[in-house]
Amino acid sequence: MGRVDTIIGELGRIAEDPVGYVAGWKERHGRKAIGVLPMNFPVELVHAAGALPVVVQESRVPITLGRSLIFEYYCGYTRSLVDQAVTSQLDMLDGMFIVDHCVALLGAMDAIRYALPDMPVYLAQFTASMDEPWSPPQVRDEIALLQARLAALCGVTITDQALRRSIALFNHDRALLRRVYELRRTGRIALRAAEMQVLVQSAMVMDIEDHAAAMTELVEVIDIERRPAADGVRLHFSGHFCHAPQPELLDLIESCGATVVDDDLYTGYRYISTDVPDLADPLDGLTTWYFDRNNNVPCSTRAQKTVDWESYLVAAVAADRSEGVVTLMPKFCEPHMLYFPELRKALLDRGIPHLLLETEHEGLALETVRVRVEAFVETIKRRAAVAPELA
Amino acid sequence: MPLMSGITDPKPFVPIANAAPNRLLSTRAGGALVKDYWDRLFSARERGATVVWYNGAALNPIFQAAGIEWCHGEAFGARLAAMHLEGPAQRTGEEYGYSNELCSYARTTLGCAVLTKRAAETSGSSLMPDQDVLASRLPPPDLFVNAYAGCSTGQQWDEISYRLFNKQLPFFKVSYPLLWGNNPDDGYLQGAEWEKASHYVAAQIYKLIEFLEAHTKRKFDWEALREAMHYIKRASELRLEAMALCRAMPAPATFWDWIASIAPINFLPGNQALVDYFAGVKAEIEQRVVAGVAALPNERYRLAFDGIMNWNKVGWLANKFAETGSAVMVGRYTHNSFWNEPQLIDADDPILGMAQHYLLCPFNHSARVLGQLLLRECETYGVEGVVFHATRTCRSASNGQMVMAQMAQRAGLQTMFFEGDVADESFYKDAVLESRLEAMLETIDVRRKLG
Repeated sequence: MGRVDTIIGELGRIAEDPVGYVAGWKERHGRKAIGVLPMNFPVELVHAAGALPVVVQESRVPITLGRSLIFEYYCGYTRSLVDQAVTSQLDMLDGMFIVDHCVALLGAMDAIRYALPDMPVYLAQFTASMDEPWSPPQVRDEIALLQARLAALCGVTITDQALRRSIALFNHDRALLRRVYELRRTGRIALRAAEMQVLVQSAMVMDIEDHAAAMTELVEVIDIERRPAADGVRLHFSGHFCHAPQPELLDLIESCGATVVDDDLYTGYRYISTDVPDLADPLDGLTTWYFDRNNNVPCSTRAQKTVDWESYLVAAVAADRSEGVVTLMPKFCEPHMLYFPELRKALLDRGIPHLLLETEHEGLALETVRVRVEAFVETIKRRAAVAPELA
Repeated sequence: MPLMSGITDPKPFVPIANAAPNRLLSTRAGGALVKDYWDRLFSARERGATVVWYNGAALNPIFQAAGIEWCHGEAFGARLAAMHLEGPAQRTGEEYGYSNELCSYARTTLGCAVLTKRAAETSGSSLMPDQDVLASRLPPPDLFVNAYAGCSTGQQWDEISYRLFNKQLPFFKVSYPLLWGNNPDDGYLQGAEWEKASHYVAAQIYKLIEFLEAHTKRKFDWEALREAMHYIKRASELRLEAMALCRAMPAPATFWDWIASIAPINFLPGNQALVDYFAGVKAEIEQRVVAGVAALPNERYRLAFDGIMNWNKVGWLANKFAETGSAVMVGRYTHNSFWNEPQLIDADDPILGMAQHYLLCPFNHSARVLGQLLLRECETYGVEGVVFHATRTCRSASNGQMVMAQMAQRAGLQTMFFEGDVADESFYKDAVLESRLEAMLETIDVRRKLG
């Protein structure tokens, strides 16, 4: 086993068991761990307060007791969150924070608040409409309140100096992850989609300095150890704003003769796309980051007239030379359902092959998916074979 | 066989024959007003009027004073569903690519938008198939305003409407904080969060008025706004006074009568006709109280209804509950919505009070506050059981319901859920409602026997 396999294996174990990792981290450091929810939480604030920011992941455990507080027609992630709360899987957290206004996420958070009355739960609602001149000051104000709340919870003062240091650490880690993305995108390394996801998911739950150390080592050796093998059909994954698609689904898709070269998943490029600018006031920097993120990789959970997810996707596909797009849509995700026709139109207009796969927490019929993916890959291959003849 | 010592079996549940509810006659006038409103709106283009499409809060007094005509997306979706004419719009939405798990208001109205565009492209609706005509009759918009509290989907839906019309039209968005309650002093109409949110929204309403002035090229008529809000405030007071009269035994009117009065208070113009309508409703209820006229022929139970309406099934549900002798007394969507705190409105300086009402959208509260409001209403109306409408495609209306149910159970109330949807009848499960309602009423009978 090479060094890359070892590093990915270690990070994978953490990504698979964030509860165990957090418990161990708290024991080692004697500090608090704060659970944060997707999609735009400025984790640097938590870090600057001396706590471990943990983006709460979907659990692989079947949803059972959580059903008493959330309906089955909420997305798998939100149902899992509530189930984790009522089955003591979140007990190691010292607080839970959220900034995003998603109706399902907030419903889940409110249920968690009810289920865990002793857990500090805080909403700093960032305005989701990005166009208005009064939106940045509102977000800036909420970030300041968030800072005060975190400082009080952790019993510290969050200094500008500490916040700048945290911002620099997270920017560094994002840059390392983007470097791996770039190597994969340009075909210089072979890295499975599930492995790529492990790198990002582990960044969401780990001590950032430890993660950056692992990434630094990985970046040094990956292009040596992971030379690209025979090409499959190049695919771009799109969707999943809040949680990780199941790794076995990603593996299955690639086992059908495809190579995933890029994505806009939350547990992927969306999460690491944007750095916090180094501004005189770090809170201004975090505010700018929130708006920059949606300019860089637009998300249909934000309301912005000046950018479109579909335009981004078409440009990304052109840049990464994908031959097709696989949309991974979590069942019941309304912002995704709303924008799907716009995505489809844009891809059809440009002749980009496209496959929609709906995902769920449980009951995903992988063999049914396999047949569809095989057909999709075959279609792309035939198209590629016919295209030169037509030319 | 006795259930336990000293208690005998309750009587088997038997639906009451010929138990049609005795609905208020005065609400028919509201139906006529609403029909006139839509018919007039359909001809807006021919009359050269400026048309705004909007969703969410009752911004209509603003539009009224700005001299433009307003089309409330959800209201039209609800109207189509109530008339069982939602099919063409929903099929069009499905063809366009929307999943049936998406908010049925959104996909109905987006389907209407597609049909409206088609109708415009085919020079009017005459070339549309007959069944599509109503769904395609909305006048194309000149501008969009989004003002959706409590529901992120509502905001995203208008982003799509904006894109369906090629991003060519002016579009204004009002953003609302959820009344979440981060601090111990935050509560219904109280706390720093409430004050801050009220002023934040009010500031945006002033910006909206500037936006409307810019796009209509007319000065905003503040006096017209004050006048409209004067009428709306009075109509709201009459509505609440009439609702309070319904505490009488037997109930002179029920939730279903108040459902019939949602459209008038939600989006009809603020004018004397609106006041007259609610004065008429109140007068009829007063007469019923004096004469002892009941809304149900045999009132046996008093229930509350939580959740948004199932517009496809209003009459069906009214009959269903009447058959069991269940007077549905109160509901979140009727009693805790739509200008329901008129004391907040200063008709001479109305913006802040309007902003506060927009924040008071019944889906913009925490579960704890919703539970408290529910318990308050149950006590006011002598309710013994709560019926929760689990609305398949509306997470906004569903949020908090399970917490509310647990709070109600702790307070000694019976609860039940039934499954349905706001505008897609395919999600309605009649047998589920029937069996759960029957079980709940039997439990209430047992509890009564237990004393």
